[in-house]
Amino acid sequence: MSITYLEAIRLAQQEALASDPRVFLYGQDIGAFGGAFKATKGLHEAFPGRVIDAPISEDAMVGMAIGAAIEGMRPIIEMQFADFSSVGFNQIVNNAGTQFYRTDVPCPITVRLPSGGTPGSGPFHSQSLDSIYAHYPGLVILTPATVEDAYTMLLEAVQIDDPTLFCEHKYLYYHLKADALPDEALPVGRARIARPGIHATVVAYSAMVHESLRAAEELAAEGWQIEVVDLRSVKPMDTDTILGSVARTGRLLAVGETFPWGGATAEVISRVASEGFHLLDAPPQRLNSKDTPIPYHPNLWKVHRPTAQTIASSLRQLLRY
Amino acid sequence: MPQLGESIAEATIISQLVQPGQTVHPGDDLFEVETSKAVMSVSAPCQAVVGEIQAKEGTSYPVGALLCEISVSAEAADKAGLTPAKPAEPAAEATANGAPAIPAAPPPPAAAHEVPEGVHFNYQGDNESFVSSEPGSPVRVEPTVGGLPVPAGAAGATYMSPRMRARMMELGMNAADLAGVAGSGAAGRVTVEDFEAFLASLDTHGMTKASPMRIAVADSMRRSWTRPLATVGTPVILDALLAHRRAQSAKSGPALYAVRALGIALAENPALAGRLIGSRVVHPKAIDIGFAVEVEDGVLVPVLKGVDQVRLTDLLPQYDRLVEMARRRRLPPDRHGPGAATVTNFGTFGITWATPIPLPEQNLVLGLGAGRKKPYWSNEVQSFIPVTEAEITLSFDHRVLDGGAAGRLLARVNALLQRPEEL
Amino acid sequence: MCYGRFRNVATDGLRPPAPPPPTNHSILTTRTHARILEGQTVIVPGTDLTGAFRDQYTRTYRHMLLARVLEDRLAAVYRAGGKIVGGVYVGRGQEAFSAALGVQLRKGHDVYGPLIRDQAGRIAFGEPILDAIRTYLGSIKGPMRGRDGNIHRGRPREGMPPMISHLGSFTAVINGMLMARRLQGREAERAVGGTGIGDGGLSTGAFHEALNQAAVERLPLVVAVANNQYAYSTPTSRQFACHDLIDRARGYGVRGQVVDGTDLAACLKAFTDAVQRARAGEGPQVVIGKLLRLSGHGEHDDASYVDPALRKGQAGRDCLEVAQTFLLDQDWATAAELSAWQREAESEVDAAFAIVYREALPDPYQESWQALSRADLVEGSSHAGPEL
Repeated sequence: MSITYLEAIRLAQQEALASDPRVFLYGQDIGAFGGAFKATKGLHEAFPGRVIDAPISEDAMVGMAIGAAIEGMRPIIEMQFADFSSVGFNQIVNNAGTQFYRTDVPCPITVRLPSGGTPGSGPFHSQSLDSIYAHYPGLVILTPATVEDAYTMLLEAVQIDDPTLFCEHKYLYYHLKADALPDEALPVGRARIARPGIHATVVAYSAMVHESLRAAEELAAEGWQIEVVDLRSVKPMDTDTILGSVARTGRLLAVGETFPWGGATAEVISRVASEGFHLLDAPPQRLNSKDTPIPYHPNLWKVHRPTAQTIASSLRQLLRY
Repeated sequence: MPQLGESIAEATIISQLVQPGQTVHPGDDLFEVETSKAVMSVSAPCQAVVGEIQAKEGTSYPVGALLCEISVSAEAADKAGLTPAKPAEPAAEATANGAPAIPAAPPPPAAAHEVPEGVHFNYQGDNESFVSSEPGSPVRVEPTVGGLPVPAGAAGATYMSPRMRARMMELGMNAADLAGVAGSGAAGRVTVEDFEAFLASLDTHGMTKASPMRIAVADSMRRSWTRPLATVGTPVILDALLAHRRAQSAKSGPALYAVRALGIALAENPALAGRLIGSRVVHPKAIDIGFAVEVEDGVLVPVLKGVDQVRLTDLLPQYDRLVEMARRRRLPPDRHGPGAATVTNFGTFGITWATPIPLPEQNLVLGLGAGRKKPYWSNEVQSFIPVTEAEITLSFDHRVLDGGAAGRLLARVNALLQRPEEL
Repeated sequence: MCYGRFRNVATDGLRPPAPPPPTNHSILTTRTHARILEGQTVIVPGTDLTGAFRDQYTRTYRHMLLARVLEDRLAAVYRAGGKIVGGVYVGRGQEAFSAALGVQLRKGHDVYGPLIRDQAGRIAFGEPILDAIRTYLGSIKGPMRGRDGNIHRGRPREGMPPMISHLGSFTAVINGMLMARRLQGREAERAVGGTGIGDGGLSTGAFHEALNQAAVERLPLVVAVANNQYAYSTPTSRQFACHDLIDRARGYGVRGQVVDGTDLAACLKAFTDAVQRARAGEGPQVVIGKLLRLSGHGEHDDASYVDPALRKGQAGRDCLEVAQTFLLDQDWATAAELSAWQREAESEVDAAFAIVYREALPDPYQESWQALSRADLVEGSSHAGPEL
């Protein structure tokens, strides 16, 4: 059997719907059509009345979820693209994100954000918004990089009593496959050592984990052992695992697909600089997408975001230091 | 197999709509394919004759896979934008793989669209066919962020990383300990790997433990060495001093004469012993002068107080007592200094000239070399006469004193030593 | 005709507005009739002015009165300084319109999403005035415990979540609460959701999305649009260009009514009708109240920008005074009773303030500083500054 990352997401939703009557799905085109990416294919028929098409109203979609959660439901909202969640941004950060702190009543909503770039998707179907949401209090930001994590973390997202943004990478939808779904998983908030090494640490998440692993493979041929840390969740961020890795290697490169100003990679650098200054044998480095809108043409897109090649090139520089 | 939608990685051939040898026109459907999202068709990019068909119905092919070959006239290829920008063969063999961003020069099908066998790969990175570059030329890769800040200097960088500092602190080491380590990092800096390798290499040597005294002296010298130190020297004729000494019942060593002479000279201008702290020269509170006493595995510097105010004969008992206490390591805390300056009699080791290092809290150290018999031209007798001569040196912080000021101070000390009865 | 100012616009589909219901003046007293002819009040034709209506009117009047007394006191405490920081936002002039919706809803059954000037509606719905005072003063015994203030208060688990300041975004939350009931198979309970919005909030994209969503889902939502003529200082001419806000209801495919928001009887009639229709499954209902905010945006604002003509006009009437006159005219209350009710409201407010003044204020050293309910997912505080 071969299960794609996308299929894992569909199966996790199927499992959530089957096991918890509080769960329902709400989003554009997710009903009979099965979703723009087919992440809800067949669920409308399998769970009548619980997989609901929404008007193109991201604000109202999230607002609806918040109200339903207050009344004991466990909504999963599908944003057609993470990019469009900016229209529902206010509800996510100001309504969902503040509710528990203000009222002591949790807001267990899950918002699925099909994130990241694919060739030809252009400025408005390619964005990664994990970092901007992570900036706000009261939100949990999950960024699975594997088929296994896509499955287990989505199921856990539904169980988390707080607003959870599930940043699923569109490029991994079909490109990533696993033989079977896992029986157990690391808890949310714990990072994973995706590849052990001793010469430098790469901290990455989502699709960038795979680009980093390819870069590590390339450098292995040159005699370097690169450790790759998969954050799994941007918030909470597993600082201990990052520091543990830097303690082993002394060199750090943080890689993210978000725009370069601030964000998760900057947070990684900041934490290591303040808590692990004494561990650093070289200035900590970060690699992000370029500070422009995400370009349409693959020739431009490919260079806009970090790739295995640019990660390897940055690592070589770092190792030379 | 073209990219038939965002995030689509592969598609399955449902039906083949053309046969080899058939002529097709732009937009004619060649295959009906099914992606995970929809059923779509793959169409001809231009007028062409269908060649060998590779794709099989019911089989799934990754994006970029070769489905069939088509023969295209130069004119048709040109019209469809499939001809290279620079002159190429008149008839290009285009492929109906339909990659949307088709390279300017259609490369040979197999080479340009290399795809792993089957679809069993776990993660297939960016499709290389999207990179528009001359066939065979390497892809230019630039990191998105700027380069690392390189330590100043093309080689021999003294930069120490936070981790190096932390590791050295942990081991009680300092920069001087790295003197023998050749760095392999940027600009030759010592990386932590170099450092650990260096430490490991030491295990093959014989080692002794440094005494606390040795560590204290080392620390003191290291701190002092952070300043630009200079030394000037002048010969001194000791005959008057020695004659005076012989006449005394209690005999002072030459060092004590020098202590007293330096004290008087500094009392006349205490700023000469000043220390530069920020933008101010900090003067000594009193003319207390230390003198170096060799002890086991190190040096102690007991201090004589108010030297400018006390006659040599009265200094002597104190001096003797301090030397004795220093050798027994029983120096009282108030005699540990720091004084305004130090006198060191390296002549006792037979050394005639040296550049001693002042204590880190002081600007000046006066050194006394070994006396030697020398011929001296006497104008009075118009002949060489034998004299006992020694070199005295003054080492100083060049930020505070210049050669002139140091030389004048040394000349004044010399003058005082020529009239020992006044000391 | 006396009901000329009242328009009942059916906007289901594209059908023309329904004709006005048959008039029945026989139940009106002569005096009231005369007043109507003078144009000083509007009584909805067909209103039963006896029995249940009298009870509802009187009860609602007393909610309005308590709201007015409470808000006057809050404003006074604010102006005295030291106890209330930030601001006080009152519903003076909007009490009738607000309370007329709140009084229709049953706490523990229905959902209510009050907005800024809905103190009267909150009281009518059943929010204790202690919640208001505690929230304004920041008492740790209040629902918001000093973490949020003034009108940003509520108890989500009791069917009344707190608004956020971003106007329009509250409506979809009420939709969600109603949607949950449907998904839970509880539609037979016939719960409705009431919420408020103003002429300014109507301009937001969020409100548009939410009302459209409610219409698509045919949710039992009742929206009270208080057209109080100004959004802070911006007049309606700078807020919308349609002839009348009621025209919007038709666009959404929902039923709309316009009432004189200064007339409690008209408001009660409209909301009774709207809530009944929502309960009966007729989908979202919009009631637009024409009135004037008889205060500044907050107590810091002197409202000098308000057109004096508006103050003198029908919308500028004080709904509390209109109701008092009506009660006297109907012989539903004597002047002495009105005074006694006033004193009762004042004592209730006095007593509540006395309680809250003795309560503890939030302590930053005791505060959890935790924005997630899952403590294990809260990040260490080392990046947010040293421990206090």
